[in-house]
Amino acid sequence: MNNNLALSDEILLSIEKPERYIGNEVNAVYKDKNDIDIRFAMCFPDVYEIGMSHLGIQILYGMFNEYKDVWCERVYSPWMDLDKVLREKNIPLFALESQEPIKDFDFLGVTIQYEMCYTNILQILDLSNIPLRSEDRTWDDPIVIGGGPCTYNPEPIAPFFDIFYIGEGETEYRNLFDLYKEAKKNGTSRADFLRQVSHIKGMYVPSLYNVSYKEDGTIASMEPVYSDVPATVDKVMVSDMSSAYYPMKPVVPYIKVTQDRVVLEVMRGCIRGCRFCQAGMLYRPLRQRNVEVLKKYAMEMLKNTGHEEISLSSLSTSDYTELPELIDFLIKECGDKKINISLPSLRIDAFSLDVMNKVQDVKKSSLTFAPEAGSQRLRNVINKGLTEEDILGGSHEAFLGGWNRVKLYFMLGIPTETDEDILGIGDIANKIAKEYFDTVPKEKRNGRSIEIVASTSFFIPKPFTPFQWAPMNTKEEFLDKANKTRKGIMEQLNQRHIKYNWHEADASMMEGVLARGDRKLADAIEAAYKKGCIYDAWGDYFHYDKWLETFDELGIDMYFYTSRVRKEDEIFPWDFLGCGVSKKFLYREWQNAQAGKVTPNCRMNCSGCGALSYGVGVCKEPKTGEAVHD
Amino acid sequence: MIKLRLKFTKNGPIRFIGHLDLQRYFQKAIRRADIDIKYSEGYSPHQVISFAQPLSVGATSDGEYMDMQLNSMVSPEDVMNRLNEVMNEGVEILDITELPEGAPKAMTAVAAAEYVVRFREGKEPSFNIKEKLEEYYAQETLPAIKKTKSGEKEIDMKPFIYKLEVDEDNNIHMLLGAGSVNNIKVAMVIENFLKHFDEELQEFGIIIHRIDTYTEGDDEKGHYIEPFICRDPEKRVYIA
Repeated sequence: MNNNLALSDEILLSIEKPERYIGNEVNAVYKDKNDIDIRFAMCFPDVYEIGMSHLGIQILYGMFNEYKDVWCERVYSPWMDLDKVLREKNIPLFALESQEPIKDFDFLGVTIQYEMCYTNILQILDLSNIPLRSEDRTWDDPIVIGGGPCTYNPEPIAPFFDIFYIGEGETEYRNLFDLYKEAKKNGTSRADFLRQVSHIKGMYVPSLYNVSYKEDGTIASMEPVYSDVPATVDKVMVSDMSSAYYPMKPVVPYIKVTQDRVVLEVMRGCIRGCRFCQAGMLYRPLRQRNVEVLKKYAMEMLKNTGHEEISLSSLSTSDYTELPELIDFLIKECGDKKINISLPSLRIDAFSLDVMNKVQDVKKSSLTFAPEAGSQRLRNVINKGLTEEDILGGSHEAFLGGWNRVKLYFMLGIPTETDEDILGIGDIANKIAKEYFDTVPKEKRNGRSIEIVASTSFFIPKPFTPFQWAPMNTKEEFLDKANKTRKGIMEQLNQRHIKYNWHEADASMMEGVLARGDRKLADAIEAAYKKGCIYDAWGDYFHYDKWLETFDELGIDMYFYTSRVRKEDEIFPWDFLGCGVSKKFLYREWQNAQAGKVTPNCRMNCSGCGALSYGVGVCKEPKTGEAVHD
Repeated sequence: MIKLRLKFTKNGPIRFIGHLDLQRYFQKAIRRADIDIKYSEGYSPHQVISFAQPLSVGATSDGEYMDMQLNSMVSPEDVMNRLNEVMNEGVEILDITELPEGAPKAMTAVAAAEYVVRFREGKEPSFNIKEKLEEYYAQETLPAIKKTKSGEKEIDMKPFIYKLEVDEDNNIHMLLGAGSVNNIKVAMVIENFLKHFDEELQEFGIIIHRIDTYTEGDDEKGHYIEPFICRDPEKRVYIA
C-alpha cells in the first residue's frame, strides 16, 4: 500500500471519482524503487475507466513486473476537472502506484489505440513536464515509446515519440531494457542509445529518418539518416500464443470500468480478410491459444480477481476452432459460481443460438449482424462473407427460439457505393421484419413484436488495408448518404419496427485525416492541443471548429488526406513499416474490390498476402481448398 | 442458513472509495476468498450482503460493519481469515460474529457512531478548542437546522450527542446518534459549534475517523447503546 498520495485530500474530495488517481487496487504491483533498475510508466491516453479496460496494458504491466529489475506503473489521462487543477497548482502528472512524477521514470510507454487520442498524448507529456518533441528531450526525460494499432501509421505523431514499437509487445521489450541498462552504465548519449535501439527488431526511431516531399505534397522518399539504421521496420509478433505471457492477476479497479470482467484472449489475428478492416490485416496470421491453456487461465483469473463476469476476446471469435469446447467448459464451471459469461458477437447459427440461450436472457438480448453493406454486390467489394440468406436464415432460427430484437451494423461511404446499395439497408431490415412475421404467428408473440435497430458508421480508409488507395467521402456526402438511408428505411412496409442511428460526420472526418496523415500534421496536432483540443474521442469535448481553424492557419488541406484518390505507385507515409502483408497483395485486393471479386479466407486458400513469411498459425494449417460455408 | 456480522476498517487511500464501490470491492473479495456466500433468487442473482452505515468519502474508520449470509462455512474465524488473506491493506476484518436467526440487519439497527475528529492544518478556529467546546456542550439545548427531503427543520442535537470531548492534542471525541431516525452528522455539530462563536467551518476543514458503529438494546439497567460487536461490557453506554 502507498499512503503518500500525490494529491491532497482537498483536491481528491473536490474532483469527480477520486478513485481514478489513488492506485492501491487489488493486484496493483508495488516494489521498492531502490531495488530496481528501470521504472516504466505505462500509459493509456484516455480516462481511467477506458484505460483500465484495455487488455494490452494488463499484459505488459504483468509481464514487466515479473522482471526483477523493472517496476511498471500506470498512468491515465486526468479527467478535465483534475487536468485544470494540475495546471493551476503546477502539480506534475504522477504514476498511480508510486504517486511519483512521470518525469522521474526511465520510460513512458503509450498505447495508441485510436487516432482521436493524439491530443491526449500531448496532455500527458505536457502535464508531466516532458518536452513535447523528442528533439528537445534529454536524459532528464523518460524515453517515450509508443505501441498499438496506430503505430502502423505513426507519422502524424512521429516528432512526439522517441521510439515506436511495431508489433506485439510480448517479444522485444526485454532486449530494449537490457540495451537501456547498458547505455546507462556506459554513459551513452541519448542520441546514440536511440540509434542502437533502431537495431532491435520492430523498433522504429522516427528521428532517424528523413522524409522529402514532391511538389504535390506526396512523399518523394523516406530515408534513414545513418546507413546502419534499417530502411524498413517489420512488425514483431508472438509465434506461439499458448506459451506467450498472459496476466493471471490483472489489476481490479474499485470503480466500475468499461471492461469490468476477466478477459480471455482466445486467439490473435483473423482469417476473414474483410477489406475495410485494419485489424484483420495488421494481426495476421491467425494464431490460436490452446483450449486447455485457456481453461486453466479462466479459472485462475477468476480466482485472482473475484470478477463476476468473463468474456472472450478476439477478432471474429466464431472462427476459434475450439469454441464449443471452451464455452461448454465455461458454462459448466461458471454456472454454480454465479459467474456471467459475456459473449462476443458470434456468427448467428444453431450453435451460437444454443449458447446464447444458455447464458443470456433471450427476452433481453438481441441478435447482432454486421452486414456492413446493404447489397451483396457491395459486400463482395469489401469481402464480407455474410449473405442475405445467412441473415434471414439465422434470424428465422432465432425468432423460433424466442428472440425478437435485431441489431444491424452498416458502413456508409464504402468505395463504389451507389444509391442502390444504400437503399439495400432499408430493404434487408424490412426483410428481417417480414421474416419475423412469417415465422412467429400472432398468437405466439405474447404482445411483443420485432424490434430492429440499424446503425451506420462512416467508412474511413485505413493504412495497410486494400482501401488505403481509396478516397474517403466528404462530410456532405456522408450526411447525404445517411439521409438517403433514413428515407430508404422510412419507405419500407415495416418501417415502424426499424430504428435508425447514425454517427456525426465531423469526428469521422478528423479520424480520416489523422489515420492517413503524414509528418506534416504534427504541427497541427500540437497547435490544436495548444488551442485547447483534448479528449477528441469524447463527443462533448471534440471541437471540430478548432481543428478546422488550425488546419486553415497552417495551410493544411484536409482533403489532401481524405478525399484524394491515390495512384498505385504513391509512397505512403507508412510504407517503410511492414505488418507482414505486402503492398502488392493489398493493391491486388484493391483491384479485386473494384471488380467485386471475393477472396477466400485463410482456412480455405492462401491468397499470398505475405504473412506466410512468419511461418506460424493458420499459415501452417492445411487448406480446405473450397469455400467454407459461413 | 448462516448469518455473519463482521467488523472492518477503512483506512489509507481506500478512504476515497465511495459506498457503492466498497460494496463491489467486498463482492469481489468474497469471490476471491471462495466463501460459500448465499445468492438471491432470480435471473441476476446477487450476494446477500448489507452494510451498516455508509461512511462519507474521505473519512477513515476502525468500526465498519457488514452482514452476510452463507450456505456453509468451517467457522466464523475461518471466514475472517480467508477474507483477510485477499483484502487490500486498509481494509482489515477485525472481528466476526454469528447472528441468531431473525436478528435485524445491521443497517436497520444502527443507533450511534463514535468518531475522532480533528481540524485540518490551517483550517482550525482561532480560539481554544477545548475551552470553547466545553462551553458549547454545557448548554441546555444545542439547536441546529437539519436539512431534510421536505425542507429544513430546527432540531435540538443535545439529546443525541452522547459524548463530546477534546483531548490534549485537540482531537474531538464524539458519540453521536446515527441511523435513520436520530442521525447527527459530525459536520453539523462542528458547524454549529463554530457558528456559536462566530466562526465558520472551512471547506474540507475537518478530518473524520470513525471509531465504531453502535446498535441499541435494553437490559435491567435500562436503554443502552454498544458497538455492534461488543466483547467488552464496559463499552455499553446507557442513555435516557
